[in-house]
Amino acid sequence: MISFTVNGCVVTPSKNQKLLRFLRDELHLLAAKDGCSEGACGACTVLINGNACKSCVPDTDSLQGKSVITVEGLTAWETKVYSFAYAEAGAVQCGFCIPGMVMCTKALLDKNPDPTDSEICYALRNNYCRCTGYVKIIAAVKLAAKITREGRIPEKGADDWKLGARVQRLDAEEKVLGTGKYPDDYYLDGMLYGSALRSKYPRARVLSIDTSAAKALPGVVAVLTAEDIPGENKIGHLKHDQYTLIPPGGLTHFLGDAIALVAAENCETVEKAKKLIRVEYEILPAVHNIQEAAASDAPKVFDEEKDNICAYKHISRGNAAEAIQQAKHVISHHFETPWTEHAFLEPECAVSYIDEDGDMFIYSTDQSAHQTLHECRLLLGTDKIKVQNALVGGGFGGKEDMTVQHHAALITYLTKRPVKVKLSRAESLLIHPKRHHFEMDFTMGCDENGIIQGVKATVASDTGAFASLGGPVLERACTHAAGPYTYQNFEIEGTAYYTNNPPAGAFRGFGVTQTCFVTETLLNMMADEVGISPWEIRYRNAIRPWGVLPNGQIVDDSTGLVETLMAVKPEYDAAIAAGKPAGLGCAMKNAGVGVGIPDTGRVKLIVEPDKKVHIYAGASCIGQGLGTVLVQMVVTNTDLQHEEIVYERSNTWISPDSGTTSGSRQTLVTGEACRRACEKFMEDRKKGKNLNDMVGCFYYGEYLAKTDPLGADVPNPVSHVAYGYATQLCILDSKTGKIEKVVAAHDVGKAVNPLSCEGQIEGGVVMSIGYALRERYPIDKNCKPIEKYGSLGLFRAHEVPEIEAIVIDKPGLKVACGAIGIGEITSIPTAPAIADAYFRYDHERRYSLPLVHTPYERKDGSW
Amino acid sequence: MVMKKKFPYRAALVACNGGCRANQEEAKCTYGCSGCRACASACKFGAISINSYGVAEVAEEKCIACGMCVRVCPQQLIHIHECANYIVVKCSNHDKGADARKECQVSCIGCGICERTCTASAVHIRDNCAVIDETYCLSCGMCLVKCPRHVMQDLRGIFTSGH
Ligand code: SF4
Ligand code: FES
Ligand code: FES
Repeated sequence: MISFTVNGCVVTPSKNQKLLRFLRDELHLLAAKDGCSEGACGACTVLINGNACKSCVPDTDSLQGKSVITVEGLTAWETKVYSFAYAEAGAVQCGFCIPGMVMCTKALLDKNPDPTDSEICYALRNNYCRCTGYVKIIAAVKLAAKITREGRIPEKGADDWKLGARVQRLDAEEKVLGTGKYPDDYYLDGMLYGSALRSKYPRARVLSIDTSAAKALPGVVAVLTAEDIPGENKIGHLKHDQYTLIPPGGLTHFLGDAIALVAAENCETVEKAKKLIRVEYEILPAVHNIQEAAASDAPKVFDEEKDNICAYKHISRGNAAEAIQQAKHVISHHFETPWTEHAFLEPECAVSYIDEDGDMFIYSTDQSAHQTLHECRLLLGTDKIKVQNALVGGGFGGKEDMTVQHHAALITYLTKRPVKVKLSRAESLLIHPKRHHFEMDFTMGCDENGIIQGVKATVASDTGAFASLGGPVLERACTHAAGPYTYQNFEIEGTAYYTNNPPAGAFRGFGVTQTCFVTETLLNMMADEVGISPWEIRYRNAIRPWGVLPNGQIVDDSTGLVETLMAVKPEYDAAIAAGKPAGLGCAMKNAGVGVGIPDTGRVKLIVEPDKKVHIYAGASCIGQGLGTVLVQMVVTNTDLQHEEIVYERSNTWISPDSGTTSGSRQTLVTGEACRRACEKFMEDRKKGKNLNDMVGCFYYGEYLAKTDPLGADVPNPVSHVAYGYATQLCILDSKTGKIEKVVAAHDVGKAVNPLSCEGQIEGGVVMSIGYALRERYPIDKNCKPIEKYGSLGLFRAHEVPEIEAIVIDKPGLKVACGAIGIGEITSIPTAPAIADAYFRYDHERRYSLPLVHTPYERKDGSW
Repeated sequence: MVMKKKFPYRAALVACNGGCRANQEEAKCTYGCSGCRACASACKFGAISINSYGVAEVAEEKCIACGMCVRVCPQQLIHIHECANYIVVKCSNHDKGADARKECQVSCIGCGICERTCTASAVHIRDNCAVIDETYCLSCGMCLVKCPRHVMQDLRGIFTSGH
């Protein structure tokens, strides 16, 4: 019998298993998270005999006599130190990586009370964080070291919860200590485990499905196929073309298409049962890329469609062709950007059960609980559904679609039993929609002073196996291709093609990360051609308050692009003077969905019996810190203290639908709705009511961000209510060719919480350093993604250069107290800035990402 | 002699697990450490000793990665690595798997399990022997846990107890 200690108690596992499984499933110590179970992510890190180890690696049989410490086993003092340090440094976003980081911190500080920066980076480098870019985690470790040495917890840096205060996030402590619950942390009585059998071929016709052997396996509770679906099989955001289960006779669209769903008493039985399902296929030729999809004799990805075109956009204003013809300088080129995986730390998971009202109750990790509700309602054909957002371990756009929620709901609906459906990391890499691969041809014309005369472009994207948000992504790629400049001749044509690759959809930047790389690179080339600096050409063309964007929109006085250019100028000039290679990129990104689509924020403030004001908004916090933003809104717009306010995670039965966490919209749209609810609350307050009198009252705020549709027949359409602007500067070390520093200046309107804002910037920049230099998502001949989580090329703690986040606080808009938000734009101008820096370094112009011939390129040929 | 070491620390690594365990049998590994002591005598810092399996072993805290041992080793099985990468391959065999299996109980047989297991694509089989690329290794130890031949070692002594 094997025995070892966990947090000081002697334990004896019932069977040999991975330590992580034993900790979570048998001991229900849930701080160690399961992010991959393959040794890559580090979310499962614990201490074994004082050393940081990934607990998904060792078998319990190998641990005889060893001592294991998890976050739950920290001393009371340590929990205080780490909670304070991580919260105060702003190190916690989605939080999924944090317990692992905390254990690395302890392992380091126990041996080295005063570590240097590089020692800290090394201590964290085997653990990934996708949200923070590590900058603030490193700061947290440093702070924890200082507190540990001094033996005293200092005062909080800010305790005034007004807008603009660098307050500690509300959810920091529960995420540091691992007590906050993600869906995978729910273990319900009698809970089944569910998983889908996926298609063996990317494109094949399913001839028959025989589930009898699987059903006969002891422990299997249900094996479901398409015929068991009570409502619509096909679901989806806008276009309903995502099959829940492929029916016999149906076509498969990619390797992630589900054929049958198995629910059983435990995971091992589920896997065994999946192998017993016999599926007969007629294998058909697959569509691998845009060219194959566009060919006249192309096989069709969908039986239901007449061709492989998922979306087509044509936008034209002025006369681009003529303007380019008359321009003094013209540059034309072909560009490509790769697929990118979101690589959020928490794989998709949903837990569902029938609640005491007889309703379907779903704990989900998604970007909108109401979206999950709509889609499950469609699938099940019933309204008796509740969705509750658990903590969300990162999304970045990758959790906007249904991946597990609908499967869990279907199993519970038919078996009446609680179930957990969770994707393995390999499934996650295959299944959720990715960032689109784009192929783009652009022509830009400028006059002798470098003033843009016109831009004409054609772009094509590979949207993979179902529409997801492929249409809107294409549209945003097209509208924002013009860049944050003022000129009046712009024409772009875009097509999104279905292929049998994994689906592509929303990803931080929403199409703009792709076209911005092109526009900004062209502008950098143009600067050389005209003979002015890349900074100067931007300054000359920049959109300024009351200028007219290429889409015809007149921008208001909150427009801060020039301020961001000015903010990086001193460092840009200094770098150039010192002979260092430096590159620039600018970007704009809408806040709010825009282009005429109804975009409503809704917030309810309810005074509950605890005499506190509870904020209910059907808006997901996917790690960005929405709860803290809303509490700061309430403190600013009422006479309440933050202790009198409680933020409730989004649900679908009390929280009014406030739209998807997408399009960098929550701070602005839900923020304004919240402010309006506060106004109503204050009317009552002014009548002299106190919280005691107000128990049971609620105050509802709603805000419709009104915009004009694309192509609206008005001279100056309002495409979006607001835009954020940014300039980023990348400086290389001229000796090593590595990035020395990235300076990111962002105009965010009023910065609600500058600490969180910096965290968003750092995280977004590091994500796009990866996009620019290394991240890949290659797909093989069988339309299968090749890489595992650990080989995607994500940046690690010791590889991240210095990042200086400059938050330009320039309130202007009359809504949401002037806040605009920042989510996506942080990732947009980084790649072109880096690309230009490398051009200045070695005079090789690169037209595709990730950039080749840099010191970050993987050289061992395994890519 | 005390030298100030620069972070990240590097040290010499002897890529042999004690193949001398094969010495008793008829087949003999020609790639392993023969315990000739050339390295131990060359090291000015007394960082190398011969362990109970008769092969050289480096005390990383004493080693300053000067590379003297690398140069003198007649078998060329010592190389410099970064100490933070504590999961290491302790074999230098280049014979085909079937032969390697006969020659030693803890030889790499080039089966490729580690290569397929590694999430970071950091392990590759080169000339019948596993090689970890430390630039990409995430030090999880999954290859070590899966290796049927106990070729990998955890220098911290957690996943393997060492010698
Ligand atoms: S698993 Fe072990 S025996 Fe097989 S190739 Fe890797 S190191 Fe060699
Ligand atoms: S779950 Fe163990 S490393 Fe990812
Ligand atoms: S906070 Fe690190 S992954 Fe989200």
